[in-house]
Amino acid sequence: MFILKNAWISIKRNKGRNILIGIIILIIACACTITLAIKNTAVDLIDSYKNAYDKEVTISFNRANMMKDFDPSQAEGRENARERFDNIESFTISDVESFSDSEYIESYYYTYSVGLNGNNIEKAEIESNNTMPNGFGRGKQNNLSSTDFTLTGYSSLDAMSEFINGTYTMNEITDNAWDIAFDGNYVFINQELADYNNLKLNDKIKLEDDDGKTYEFEIIGIFKENEEGSSDVMSMFSNSANTLVTNASVVANITASNEEINATINPTFIIDSYDNVEKLQAEFYEKGLDENFVLQTNEEIALSGVSSIQNINSFATTFLVITLIIGGIVLFVINMINIRERKYEIGVLRTIGISKFKLTMQFVSELVIVSVVALILGACIGAVSSKGVSNSLLESEINSSNERTEEIGKNFGGANMNGGMLDHGNRGDVRGKGMPVVEAYDSIDAVVDIKVLLELLGIGLTLVLISSIASMVSIQRFSPLTILKERS
Amino acid sequence: MANKVKNNKEMKEKNNSSHNIILSIKNASYRYSDAEENDYALRDISFDFESGKMYAIRGRSGTGKTTLLSLISGLERCTEGEIIFDGKSLNSMNLDKYRNSDIGIVFQSYNLLPFMTASENIILSMDANGLKIKNKKEKAIELMEKVGLKETYADRKVLRLSGGEQQRVAIARSLSYNPKMIIADEPTGNLDKQTETEILEIFKKLAHEENKCVIIVTHSQNVCDTVDVIYDLKKTKEEKK
Repeated sequence: MFILKNAWISIKRNKGRNILIGIIILIIACACTITLAIKNTAVDLIDSYKNAYDKEVTISFNRANMMKDFDPSQAEGRENARERFDNIESFTISDVESFSDSEYIESYYYTYSVGLNGNNIEKAEIESNNTMPNGFGRGKQNNLSSTDFTLTGYSSLDAMSEFINGTYTMNEITDNAWDIAFDGNYVFINQELADYNNLKLNDKIKLEDDDGKTYEFEIIGIFKENEEGSSDVMSMFSNSANTLVTNASVVANITASNEEINATINPTFIIDSYDNVEKLQAEFYEKGLDENFVLQTNEEIALSGVSSIQNINSFATTFLVITLIIGGIVLFVINMINIRERKYEIGVLRTIGISKFKLTMQFVSELVIVSVVALILGACIGAVSSKGVSNSLLESEINSSNERTEEIGKNFGGANMNGGMLDHGNRGDVRGKGMPVVEAYDSIDAVVDIKVLLELLGIGLTLVLISSIASMVSIQRFSPLTILKERS
Repeated sequence: MANKVKNNKEMKEKNNSSHNIILSIKNASYRYSDAEENDYALRDISFDFESGKMYAIRGRSGTGKTTLLSLISGLERCTEGEIIFDGKSLNSMNLDKYRNSDIGIVFQSYNLLPFMTASENIILSMDANGLKIKNKKEKAIELMEKVGLKETYADRKVLRLSGGEQQRVAIARSLSYNPKMIIADEPTGNLDKQTETEILEIFKKLAHEENKCVIIVTHSQNVCDTVDVIYDLKKTKEEKK
């Protein structure tokens, strides 16, 4: 009580100095509140993005491993490389299922492709341009380029990355397309192929394998490939002109009925954390994955969408640190001057028997009282000021997310996607599968919350303690008799 | 060690009734931490101080008067020897508590806080002591009246008081928790003859009427004429040599 009473008397007596200290702390508090609010909002958004994107792992060639010892200048070296490539043991659906049985994997999906020839339709071709999707075939590595068409089966909606990322956009679609797409011999075909063969929705088409066995499909959707998705600028048709999209079980049935047919599989595993990728890769090798394959993640892609927010976060952190350093130094200097001015007072108080501890606590209390008032005011001003900045940031991110969601909806033909789609092989919701879903913060409470206030309090008290070091050290070192003799 | 005791009739009777040693300095020496090995500011001093008596410690500059004052007022500790207060060694006592409850200190330059009023300075000392009384201001005014200051001075900033008045406030402050001993460092050094006499009269009353031990470090002959016992620090040092 004595400490607080004296501290309060001292604050009232030194109004000018305490107002100066208060203003400095107010500015620091204000800046801290705004930066902490922005920083926390940015971190929330980054987390939101990270969580919205599935953490995906795909299997790709370890080109560096395959090309080691490769000398392109020697024919023998080229031959060896080709032989090594041909001998790579690929993997099958049962391998993928085995890989997926891991504690690090939450779910998985895949695309399964097979090459077939036309029976009652013709390949869209002026010149040879059929490009097969990258993938790993059954048995030894092989390609499907000798056939007219590629039938690509998706194991689930998640696997339809071309539609999710906008490479393919649905032009026409039957009303019940998404209800039956994964249940039978239904296909989506390219608009160019439809135009070339004069095909329309609900038409039946026939394809055949090398043995002449025919397979009938019903067209339930017609898609187009966006120009930027087409890599062959010299071709009249897009890359996917002769690609027919169906479900994986259709392709599996075809490959089951003809063991000689060439097929490729591209699995994608959804993992719990990017930190476990190395462990997962080691587990895959143990389960028989050829060491010429490596695992790749989509972490870079997932974070690329929040690079601007990460920049804001970095800026806010830097600004916060600079503010605290400058503020801390200024407060320390003011306290040093304060102690020098009050040396006589310290001498008198020590002489009449006030302990060093009580005296130190009095000086710290003075600073704490002024700081708490300034911190409260600073937090209020900061909260009001940060509202505009943070909400503007949030609004732009929400708009961006909404636009993205709408765009994906359009890519799927604008049909009602909710409740009618497959979720990793089961029916589910297209939202949240491989695309960002950002939580919409629309209240200021979400910006300057209890976390920000606690952080601000922590920063404020740390600053007070650091700047109080001057008084603490001085009080310990001062000899009351020396002070009073100097005064005399 | 040579010391000079001035007896008077009145005191003789009092001393006979109370040979009560309140403070005893036993072979005390003090050397500053940065001084050479044999360079003592004060060496092998032994004095006794009794309650109800007024003492003067006299000496020329550099004889260690202020050092001795800082030792007996608990602002420093002896480097050798010890000081016993009321049966307890200062070496083992909490000196902050000793200063704010057992002794009162009065300085030549008063050492009041200039931004406070007279009564606030006295109340501050009560607070430092942890004194629990209902009306501290009333008690402060009572003390001020005891040292010859009117109630109207209570709310005046000390800088608006004369030197003599400030010294009275300082004495009132030193009495605020009723200590057993008053230690004064040249308390009349800045005062005129008349005021000096009045201040000394207050000290005399405290010693003789309230049975306090009053120790005054001084150069003043007037003070030496007033006290009961004089310890001559210079002679002490010379004798030791």
